[in-house]
Amino acid sequence: MSAAQELTMEALRARIQAAGVTIAEHRLAMVRKLLDEALAPVRTLDTRAIKTVEPAVVFTPETGDTP
Amino acid sequence: MSDAIAYATIRELGGRYRKRELSPVEVTRTLLGRIEQLDPKLHAFVTLTADRAMADARAAEAALQRGDARPLLGIPVAHKDIYCTRGIRTTGGSALLADWLPEDEATCVRCWQEAGTVLLGKLITHEFAFGLQLPGHRFLPARNPWNLAHIPGGSSSGSGAALAAGLVVGATGSDTGGSIRGPAAFCGIVGLKPTYGRVSRAGVLTLSWTLDHTGPMARTVEDCAYLLQAMAGHDAADPASSRAPVDDYLAPLGGDIRGVKIGVPRAYFFDGIDAEVAQAFEGALATLRGLGAEVRDVTIPSLHATPAFLLILMAEAFAYHERDIREHPELYGEVLRERILTGALVTAAEYTQAQRLRAQLCREMAEVLQDVDVFATPTTPAPATPFTLAQDPEFGFPRSNMPPFNLTGLPTLALPCGFASSGLPLSLQLAGRPFDEAMVLRVGHAYEQATPWHTRRPPV
Repeated sequence: MSAAQELTMEALRARIQAAGVTIAEHRLAMVRKLLDEALAPVRTLDTRAIKTVEPAVVFTPETGDTP
Repeated sequence: MSDAIAYATIRELGGRYRKRELSPVEVTRTLLGRIEQLDPKLHAFVTLTADRAMADARAAEAALQRGDARPLLGIPVAHKDIYCTRGIRTTGGSALLADWLPEDEATCVRCWQEAGTVLLGKLITHEFAFGLQLPGHRFLPARNPWNLAHIPGGSSSGSGAALAAGLVVGATGSDTGGSIRGPAAFCGIVGLKPTYGRVSRAGVLTLSWTLDHTGPMARTVEDCAYLLQAMAGHDAADPASSRAPVDDYLAPLGGDIRGVKIGVPRAYFFDGIDAEVAQAFEGALATLRGLGAEVRDVTIPSLHATPAFLLILMAEAFAYHERDIREHPELYGEVLRERILTGALVTAAEYTQAQRLRAQLCREMAEVLQDVDVFATPTTPAPATPFTLAQDPEFGFPRSNMPPFNLTGLPTLALPCGFASSGLPLSLQLAGRPFDEAMVLRVGHAYEQATPWHTRRPPV
């Protein structure tokens, strides 16, 4: 999805159908807004440019931590 | 007399207990009376454990007579109602668990119990720490003691309200996107979200595994330090629990902060901020400078990605609730049901990209924390929201200054830094390096002691 592509109601309905959940019709606009805002940073992310390779398991020998 | 007891600090109570000027039984009786008087309008408690409290108080009194020196001995506390308490109803603020009696305690509950605290009861939480109690919900929402028409923040709403109203001396909270710090900010008290892994989450209802934190709430920074000391440490029952050594959180308090470096990340944290919040925050920075801290602006580019935290939160919440919400959707409130089901709509790739953004934010903050000791920001962009707005179905999920520190897991303190012209409290947020709660508490304590905000009482 590019930065210009917001989540449409049609795309939202397709996601709801794929997930097999039921969301009241009168709440769809609110759900679309909630999901659209949360997705905004992911939409603008250049997935090839981002440097991080996480998620990963990191072992700290002294403590045995796996943060 | 009631107010003097109700708003006493842990140190004050302990000192008076040991001078035989006051007894845990007397304090507990006073607070139970105050709860009976005030809670009908505040709704902070969902379950009052008066008999248990009196039994705990008598046991504490006997221990004091034997010379027991534990600092939390006889200190009245209550737990957010997502902390499991053996044989005591634990509702999660939910109709689904409305009559649940856990067979075991949360580790934190056990820690405070072993420290000698007095259990007054369970404090209302937003439904499963994520929903809202709209009219018609099984449990009434807590109200803000500074103005009953405003929310106390959430999801540790009962904890914030009870502390501000002088009904308890300490309380537990949990913080997935700000649920300790938000109520602390809106209620004019102090809340500490410790480093991820510092305090056990075993026996605490899950909202989002990778974002959930447990921690203390109190009325002063020192009280928070006492409470943290009793709950910090490794717990094999929590897979995220760290074996990092536990510091002495009391020792650094009272030390000066000359030369401490404070970084202010203005981008993101000041977007759409209330003018009175900004003014109070600048005043706090001036105070910190006056105390000898070196304050400077810092840049953290990935903060713009903070809204992606909701993808992680909602997807993990759906994973946790999936079976119950599919089988018993009617037992979930409308707002919570909508938020959790939205998590089902997040794709695996989107969840993973959100985690990658999170890792980038962690790395950037770690780099800046090589040059500064703590970050300072306003805790919330505005004072407490009125119920009329918060309970509007179209209100949505407002922008927040707190999730960046859930994403990064850094220890973060919220403490009072002024009042709006409406009389509602304003709050300063301080975040530090991983496991450096001691520094965050030290800076917070120095600021607190230089200002009068923590001494004001709400008009309840």
